[in-house]
Amino acid sequence: MGAQEPMRRGGLFKEGPMASPAVRRRAHELDVSLEGLRGSGEHGRITIEDVQQAAEAKPVPSGARDRVRISPYARRIAADRGVDIAEIRGTGPGGAIRADDVLRAEPSKAAERASPAERMQRAIAAAMTRANDEIPHYYVEHTIDMSAALGWLRDFNASASIEERLVSGVLVLRAVALALRKHRSLNATWQGGEAVPSEEVNVGLAVSLRGGGLVAPALRNTDEGSLSELMGRMTDLVARARSGTLRSSEMTAATITLTALGERGVESVTPIIFPPQVAIVGCGATVERPWVVDGRVVVRPVMRVTLGADHRVSNGHQGARFLSTLENLLQEPDEL
Amino acid sequence: MTSEDIRSTLLACLSDVAPEVDTEALEDDMDLRDELDLDSMDILRWVQGIHKALGVEIPEEDYGKITTLGEAVDYVSARV
Repeated sequence: MGAQEPMRRGGLFKEGPMASPAVRRRAHELDVSLEGLRGSGEHGRITIEDVQQAAEAKPVPSGARDRVRISPYARRIAADRGVDIAEIRGTGPGGAIRADDVLRAEPSKAAERASPAERMQRAIAAAMTRANDEIPHYYVEHTIDMSAALGWLRDFNASASIEERLVSGVLVLRAVALALRKHRSLNATWQGGEAVPSEEVNVGLAVSLRGGGLVAPALRNTDEGSLSELMGRMTDLVARARSGTLRSSEMTAATITLTALGERGVESVTPIIFPPQVAIVGCGATVERPWVVDGRVVVRPVMRVTLGADHRVSNGHQGARFLSTLENLLQEPDEL
Repeated sequence: MTSEDIRSTLLACLSDVAPEVDTEALEDDMDLRDELDLDSMDILRWVQGIHKALGVEIPEEDYGKITTLGEAVDYVSARV
């Protein structure tokens, strides 16, 4: 017997693969045969992960996807809700599955068993897959000198009370909102095959959850009010995002998303648009770099900002103009 | 106020900022940003909480001196 072979125990124990009842139940649900499956557990015992991997590695029968007649919209809803379309009886022509059929169906057993973090990751995966499949993204990037903004912030915080202090993220947030006022094509949603401009500028803030997961709730009218007021609203929104007490309207009101990964040392972000939005802004870390000013090389804190946008709605030229506006706003922090 | 009292207060303030964190498992030399996934807004809220609870004001330029719980206890102990 090789060292990696499962240990066989005769006599008191049943012959066959070593697996707990829970593993056997899972294998049955996923239609995975335990015979011949190599276990990664102690003494070659088959684990749930082994079964899961075997299920994922199973080839999909040719034409299986096509046998279920379902509209793209209904398929998308099914993916978002964790509904297994194989379990749905369609009521459309020829038994085709319609959106209503999906909405009436219960989420699959696998989806019900998932933890909240797993369900959230599935929802993110569904939304991002949809975005990647359907939205023709283009990207433009600017490296912005942040010395004016950070100098302003340092002075402000030095004289402000501790309760009034700001973080640099709020300056970027406001600058994005003000830039959108001038570049309306990026502040819109894609509905029914066309872009619908939004009157409000509601920047969604990508918030990572410490237990895993990501949400992007909206700060309504991000372009209005004082910076201190915006800071208060942003702090409250992030705290509620992490405590799971967001209002449902906050999850749907965003007209663009801002994602900032600079605090984790990332210098450049190439983000994917959150449907039905038509643009997203990604910010990297503010780092000191050589910078040419009046023909001389100096050291400046700089930040790379990337705009990802929907080419059905805007083009690279418009995106570049948006980033120029953003850059100019961050050179005039008093105007924020 | 003893160092232990200060430590307890700082942990309570940290729990307000990040209630999902098991502060009992936090060791004094752990980097708060890395281990607890805190960002600049969390640090600011923590500093504000410390000010409210103990009256110690930590200026922004001193954030680098409170990167661990142990450092923060020492910093606050010297000023409370």
